[in-house]
Amino acid sequence: MSAGPMIDLTVDGKKVSVPAGTSVFDAARLNNIAIPTLCHQQNEKPVGVCRVCVVDVGARVFTASCVRPAEPGMVVSTNSERVKQARKTLVELLMTDHVSPCARERQSGDCELEALAKQNNLAHSRFAPQATRRGVDDSSMSIGVDFDACILCDRCIRGCDEIRENFVLGRMGKGETTRIAFDNNVPMGESSCVSCGECMVSCPTGALTNKVINQTAIAAPGSEPVSLEELNELPFFEGVSGTFLSLNRNAVVRRRFKRGEVICREGEYGSTAFYILEGEARVSIASPIAHVKTKGAVKRFLGKLSSRLTQRQSDVRDDETDQHWIHIDAPMDLSYENPVATLKAGDLFGEMTCMSLYPRSATVRAETDCTMLELLRNVLDIMQRNKNFRAQLDHSYRQRALDSHLRAVPIFAELTDEFIAGLRDKVELLRFSPGQVICRQGDHADSFYLVRIGFVKVSQTHLGGDMVLAYLSRGDYFGETGLLNGDVRTATCSALDHVEVVRISAADFAEMNRQFPEVRHQLELVERERTQMNRERLTALSSTPLDSFLKQGLMEAQSLLLLDLDSCTRCDACVRACADAHDGVTRLVREGLRFDHYLVATSCRQCLDPLCMVGCPVGSIRRRNSLEVIIEDWCIGCGLCADNCPYGNINMHPFNVFADVPGSSGKKKAVVKQKATSCDLCSEFAEPSCVYACPHDAAHRVNPRQFFAGLLQQSADKSLKD
Amino acid sequence: MLIDATHRKWLIASLIILVAATFIYVAYAASSPAGPSGGSATGLTFGIVGFGFMIFAGLLAARKKVAIWRLGRAQTWLRGHLWLGLLSLPMIFFHAGFQFGGVLTRVLMILLILVVASGLFGAALQHYLPRLMTSEVPMETIFEQIDHVREQLVTEADGLVNGVCGPSPTEQIALSGGAVAIATSAPAAALPLREFYNRQLRPFLQHQHLPGSGSGSGLAKRDDSSRIFDGLRTVLPSDAHDATRKLEEICEEERQLRRQVRMHHWLHSWLLLHVPLSLALLLLGCIHAIMALRY
Repeated sequence: MSAGPMIDLTVDGKKVSVPAGTSVFDAARLNNIAIPTLCHQQNEKPVGVCRVCVVDVGARVFTASCVRPAEPGMVVSTNSERVKQARKTLVELLMTDHVSPCARERQSGDCELEALAKQNNLAHSRFAPQATRRGVDDSSMSIGVDFDACILCDRCIRGCDEIRENFVLGRMGKGETTRIAFDNNVPMGESSCVSCGECMVSCPTGALTNKVINQTAIAAPGSEPVSLEELNELPFFEGVSGTFLSLNRNAVVRRRFKRGEVICREGEYGSTAFYILEGEARVSIASPIAHVKTKGAVKRFLGKLSSRLTQRQSDVRDDETDQHWIHIDAPMDLSYENPVATLKAGDLFGEMTCMSLYPRSATVRAETDCTMLELLRNVLDIMQRNKNFRAQLDHSYRQRALDSHLRAVPIFAELTDEFIAGLRDKVELLRFSPGQVICRQGDHADSFYLVRIGFVKVSQTHLGGDMVLAYLSRGDYFGETGLLNGDVRTATCSALDHVEVVRISAADFAEMNRQFPEVRHQLELVERERTQMNRERLTALSSTPLDSFLKQGLMEAQSLLLLDLDSCTRCDACVRACADAHDGVTRLVREGLRFDHYLVATSCRQCLDPLCMVGCPVGSIRRRNSLEVIIEDWCIGCGLCADNCPYGNINMHPFNVFADVPGSSGKKKAVVKQKATSCDLCSEFAEPSCVYACPHDAAHRVNPRQFFAGLLQQSADKSLKD
Repeated sequence: MLIDATHRKWLIASLIILVAATFIYVAYAASSPAGPSGGSATGLTFGIVGFGFMIFAGLLAARKKVAIWRLGRAQTWLRGHLWLGLLSLPMIFFHAGFQFGGVLTRVLMILLILVVASGLFGAALQHYLPRLMTSEVPMETIFEQIDHVREQLVTEADGLVNGVCGPSPTEQIALSGGAVAIATSAPAAALPLREFYNRQLRPFLQHQHLPGSGSGSGLAKRDDSSRIFDGLRTVLPSDAHDATRKLEEICEEERQLRRQVRMHHWLHSWLLLHVPLSLALLLLGCIHAIMALRY
């Protein structure tokens, strides 16, 4: 309000004097006369869209007081019966565009529109509610959007544009389908919204509300609440809406840990992330780095077979990779030989657990006395969208983790320090919400991606539907095929959960290939392998056109344990042999789907689309190049793969190991740890024990497509003869 | 085990051995003035070969105990057991010159015949029954799980009937803490279902003998059961038909489980005869061999 010449007018019979240019609404407000309104807020530019602030200024029609400038000698009536009736009708009409009670009314009973309706005794509207439903948007972690509760007052749009200058919100559509929209009409969670909360606190109704998540408070012992003032003093909370922090104040707490105290343990489920304020913490994997191995009888002819934990060095697999890094849910990876690292002040860990509720990937113990912030995912999501916090994390990643992340990928091991230093400022860190497409089949290939957090689904669209080619996790990469061929994307890559990728531009990728011919050579080999594999898969898929075969998901399998029920006497020799071969714990159950006279036993199918791999917090369940699913030594026994397997084919195998006794230095005690196990095809023998031990020639390990294609051919030949 | 074309090699080898042994035996019998004898070199050879075959056949049980030792595929052992065990009979006949001899040898011969006969019976069962079970019992489950599956079926059936008729009077009393007896609240039209369930279906699922039901419940046979359920549907309201159809399916599953139990017993119970007789045969065979060689 400028201090210009004063003008006099009358409001509700009261002489008032206000500076020229003042709106009628403000003229009344400054003189303690309240005019109801919905679309107008003092900190936003008035737009007069709701018209609830109508007043009578003696003109032909009533006017919206928020946008009408006061004039000298104007006589304003804000409260006459005619004005009240007009306002009542307006509220009644607005209520037809608003679901009642809305989320805000249900949560806190302070929906401004519904309060006005109550004041006007509008329990029921005379008008029919709007027939067109505009729906909800549940994609944001922290803000719920109910378009049906929106009255298009534009307070959120002005809050986003004028107050925060984020320019994310706008309007879309026409007529009764008009609604607010994020960016170019994408879901809020996928938009460039930084979750500052301004739109939510601006909204007069329940159209934009603070999301009530399952766990809104951290109840860890010793946690200290952090006041709003304290949070605002922390530099990385700069720019976050105070109101929003206030609404979520229990979702962030301060935790203090004494030296040696365990902050989180591998395999445990949690829903929080930690941000180190002070001190250092040691991150390590406490589970034995070994895989479950059954010692064969070849060397010990009369010896009893038993399963035990065997280290990689003493049991080198045929196609052992040269992977020397274990990917964990922290800024760095762990070395296979010595899986220990140090986290410092400014580091954030536990992001995947917090955002996607995966088990903890490693054990973190305070190296010195530590102070940390423990965050629930609604707060972490806001932080991740906060420019300052992102910049700090990005900087930390570029300085400390990019190097090890790139080197953890075997084919990039030979990149020089100079080249990586050059990349540091060029790479982009991008975040994607669950379901969001990172790159689409057929698009121009312009980047190479390295997965930093989360799981990426790679799929190809063919006639008849999509085919999943792979699931990629931290340390994996994609996008090389299109770049190497100078062509378009050959597959669609989308985020399965909360994903972060490192994006390397086509120009930097080309430069890398120019400088390091060996890297290019390796990438080309990988690209050829992947292309060939996809082609074979597609051929196999298209050559097996049997409905029930597809319905039973058998096309997803690479190797099935089939029992020919016409020969099987149900003697269970196969089950006993499997148990004998695996320390008394069978890895197969003689029950499952039937296909013709074959029983598909419950035993690992080596699926083409291995859902078991999705979510492994340390990436220990993976594929060899032969597509065989194996469980690597650094399995932490969280059991997620067993839960994820749709066929119940992964078991948890308990083992006694010696672990430190908490609080006593050097003392150890036996504790039971678990390792995931699945059918290993008795790989040290020529054929699986179940097949070998079947006296009736009923058990067979087969490639399902070849096997069933043969059956179909026989069946077709037979019917032709008949 | 299916005895099919894959047994051809064993069949041919066994026939060659049989023909050769028969030829040798005929020549030997013709050239022995006193007739064939188990104590002669040829007779003894037949005895050793026949007993060797028996021992090999008997080792199958031991082989099964160490199923994962790589001592040859179990399938090969079973085929050897089948064909060599069968061949042991003519070998022992040639060894004995088709004479039964004294008490021990007579017992041995009878045992051998019984063992071979029971083995052939078992092989025939294992050839035919798996196919029959596959076609007749599509809802087959793991044998050891059958009791558990039956409990589930009863629970499911209880739920279906209660869904239509309301809780049974006993359950109502239990629900009300036993303090007051509440009259049944079942809709009158659904009462025939409750009555049928309590009198016929539940006892059938629980394997209770029904008084006056003769050899068993009418639900034990598919056709009879179908007639009973068709009749039931005619007196029930249409909204109870879906539950009735599900009860009929449960009834069918129970019948299949019964069939599976019967077939499973046939598939494996012959071993209760075959195995002890085989052990006795081997034991007495050893005694006979020691006595014959010593005396």
